[in-house]
Amino acid sequence: MNESQTSASRTLQQLYLTLFLRGRSARGLKKGKAPKSVAGKLWGTLAMYGLVGLLALTFLSQTSFILSFYLHGMSLLFLGMFIASSAGEILFNKDEAEILLHRPVEPRTLLWAKVSVLTRISLWLALAFNITGLIIGSVGKYGTWLFLPVHLASTCLAALFCSGSVVLLYQLCLRWFGRERLDNLMTGAQVLLAVGMMAASQMVPIVMRTMGPTTISLSEKWWIFLLPPAWFAGFDEVFTGRGTPSSWALAAIGIAVTAGVLALAFGRLAASYEEGLQNLAESRPAKPRDPAQRRLLDRLMDAPPLSWALRDAIVRASFRLTAAYLLRDRDVKLRVYPGLAPMLVMPAVFLVQGATGTSGDIGIAFAGGYLGLIPLMAMNLLQFSQNWQAADLYRLAPVPGPAPFIRGAIRAVAVVLVLPALILAAVVVCVLPNGPASAVMLLPGLIAMPVYALVPGAIEKTVPLSKPAEEAKSATRGAVMFVLMITALAVPGLAIGAKMIGFFWVFLLVEALLAAAICLAMSSAISRKAWDPLE
Amino acid sequence: MISLQNLTKRFGLQTAVNGLTLDIPAGQIVGLLGPNGAGKSTTLKMLTGLLAPTSGTATICGHDLLTHPMEVKRNVGFVPDSGAVFESLSGLEYLEMVAALYGIPAEAARERIRQFIAFFDLSFETLTDKLLGAYSKGMRRKVVITAALLHNPPVVFFDEPLDGLDANAAVGFKALIQTLAREGKAIVYSSHILDVVERVCDRVIIIDQGVIKVDGPPAELVAQHDARSLEQLFTHLTGGDDLERKAADFAKTFRP
Repeated sequence: MNESQTSASRTLQQLYLTLFLRGRSARGLKKGKAPKSVAGKLWGTLAMYGLVGLLALTFLSQTSFILSFYLHGMSLLFLGMFIASSAGEILFNKDEAEILLHRPVEPRTLLWAKVSVLTRISLWLALAFNITGLIIGSVGKYGTWLFLPVHLASTCLAALFCSGSVVLLYQLCLRWFGRERLDNLMTGAQVLLAVGMMAASQMVPIVMRTMGPTTISLSEKWWIFLLPPAWFAGFDEVFTGRGTPSSWALAAIGIAVTAGVLALAFGRLAASYEEGLQNLAESRPAKPRDPAQRRLLDRLMDAPPLSWALRDAIVRASFRLTAAYLLRDRDVKLRVYPGLAPMLVMPAVFLVQGATGTSGDIGIAFAGGYLGLIPLMAMNLLQFSQNWQAADLYRLAPVPGPAPFIRGAIRAVAVVLVLPALILAAVVVCVLPNGPASAVMLLPGLIAMPVYALVPGAIEKTVPLSKPAEEAKSATRGAVMFVLMITALAVPGLAIGAKMIGFFWVFLLVEALLAAAICLAMSSAISRKAWDPLE
Repeated sequence: MISLQNLTKRFGLQTAVNGLTLDIPAGQIVGLLGPNGAGKSTTLKMLTGLLAPTSGTATICGHDLLTHPMEVKRNVGFVPDSGAVFESLSGLEYLEMVAALYGIPAEAARERIRQFIAFFDLSFETLTDKLLGAYSKGMRRKVVITAALLHNPPVVFFDEPLDGLDANAAVGFKALIQTLAREGKAIVYSSHILDVVERVCDRVIIIDQGVIKVDGPPAELVAQHDARSLEQLFTHLTGGDDLERKAADFAKTFRP
C-alpha cells in the first residue's frame, strides 16, 4: 500500500468508526451528544456479553484446552453473528457508492477500512464475553499468567479469521455467480452464515460432551482439526507452554488458514469488491411484465381467506408494502432473514432432538416456543428501512394513527414468514419417528404467537419501514435476541411442568384464554395510538 | 481533455448508452441533455468510475479509464444528482474527510474550505456544529459542490447541480463554472433546466436512448433545426411535440 492509500485507509477507518458511533442517518442526533467510543455506544450490549461470559465459571475444573475451546467456540459464534449481520449493510451500502466510488481510493483500501472497524468493534464484544474466561485461565486450577496475553492474541486472530471468512464468502459468491444475481446471493450468503453460526453453536456443547472432563487424545479425533475453535485453542496451548504435537498442528492450521483467508479476501479477490459496488450503482431497468400475468401476491390478496383479512384499504396497502419489502428489498431481506435464522435453526434442532427421543417433549415444546417468536422478531426488524423517509407518506395521508399500518404488517409477516415456517415444522414433525405423537407440545408456543406479534406494535409502535436502517444496530439486536430466546423458554417450560403433573390441557385452555385477553388489550392499545410528532 | 470512444453500457438486453464517441477540450462547458432514461447519468457514472462500461473506453487528461482508474479519479470532480453525503458527519468533517482522500494537507484543506464557505455564504459555525443530516437541501448541495472542487480537478462533472440551490447561489454557481472553464477546466453539465444550459454552455449534446442526437453550440443547433429555442429543439428531438395537448387532456380529467 503506497503512502496516499495508507493515508486514505486511516481517513476511512476514522470515517467508518464515526459512522458506527453516530449512525448514518443522524436523525435527531446532535453532534455533541453522539457517543465518543465503542464502549460508550455499546455499554449495555457489552454488559450483556459479560454476563453471558460468566458461564465460563462452569469450566473451572476443566483443562485449559477445553476452556479455550469453549471460549473460542462461543466468541466465534458471537463475532460471526455480528459480522455477518453487519457486513451486508456496511460492505455494500448503495448510497455510499456515489460518495466514495469516484474518489481515488483503491477497493482494497476501502474494504480493509470497513473490515478493520468491524473487527475492532467485534473484538470489544469478544473481550466482554471472555473476561471471566481470561480470569479462570489465568488463576484457575490449570491457570497460568501467560493465558491472558496469549488468549487475547488468539482472540484477535480468531476475529481476523471471522472477518476474512465473511468477506471471502461474499467475494466468492460474486466471482462464481456473477454480478447479475448479487442481491439475492448476498442475502442467501448472509442467511446461510447466520444459520451456520447457529448450527455451530449447537455443535460446541455436543463436542464438549464427547470430550469429557479429562485431557482428550487429539490424535484419536481427526475431526477436531476441522473445527476453527480448536485451532485457536491449540494456539493458546502452544504459546502458554503446554504444546503437544497435536496442539502445534492445530495452531499451525489456525495461523495458516487465517493468513490464507486474509490473503484471498484482501488480496487476490479484492477487485471483485469494486465490481460489487459498481453493481449497486446500476439502476437496472426492470424486465417488462406481461400485464395479464399478475403477481402471486396480488392473486393471494384477492382470494379468501386473505381478502377477508384485508378488507380495510389501509391494512391492505400496508400488507402489500410490507410483503413487497420482505420479498424484494435487499436491505430488508439482509436484516430480517439472518435475524430470523435462529428462530428457524433452534426449532429444527429441538424438533429433531425431541422426536428422536434425545429430549422428548421438552425439545418439541421449545421448538414451538421459538416458532412463536418469529412475528415478534420480524415486526421488530421490519421497522427499519433505507427508505424510511418515504414513510412520511403515512402521516400525510388522512389516517389518525399507525394502527392500520401495524396490522397490515402483522398480516404480511403471518403470510410471508410464519405460514411457511409452520408448514416446514409440520413436515419435519410428520417425517420424524415420534413426531406426530409429540406435535401437541408445539401448541403452547404457537398459542403465544399472536401475543408476541402484537407486542412490538403495542409497546414500541413499530410502524413498518419507518426508521433509519442504522438504528437497527446489529450488536444490540444480538443482545436483545438473546434475551428474547431466554424469555421464550418460559411458556414451554411451564407447559412441560403442567404436563408432568397432568394439567397440560388445562394449561392450554388457560393459556389460550389469557392470550386472547392480552391480544384484545394490546389490539385496543394499538388502535388508540397516535402519531409521534415529526422530529 | 475528455475523450470517449464507442463507450457503451448494457443492462442485460437493454442498451443504456450506445457507442458514445466524442471529445471535450479544456476550457469548454458541455451541456448534456436528454429525457429521463436517455443515458446521461449512466454516461457520467461510467466516466467517474461508478459504473464499468460494457465496451468502449474513455480517456481523461490522457489517462485511460479502464487501465488507470485511480489517475482518472484524481483528475475528476463529480457532483452526483443524488447529493448523497454521510449525514452523521458535520459539513466540516465531511469536507476534511474528502480532502484527506485526495491527499490535501489539513491546513491547505481548511484554507480551501474557508474560501468555499465565503463564496457560498455559509457560516463556519453551521459547518462545524451541525450534522449534514440537519442541513437544508440547498446547503447540502453547496457542501457536495465544494467537495467536488476541493482538489482543484481539471475535469468536473455536474449532474443537476442547481437542484436545491437558492436563486442567489444558483447565479453565483453559474458564474463560477464559467470562470472555472476560462481557467482551463473541462466541464460537463447534465441538467433538465434547458434555459440555464443554453445560457451557460458553449456546447450542447442531446442524447436519447443512449445515442447522440445533436452536438454543437446551442445557438447553431437552434438555427440549424429552425427551432425557436433550445427547449423547442429538445422536445422535437426527443418525441415531446404533443405535450401541451396531452397536458390539456389530462387536466380535463380533474373536472368534476
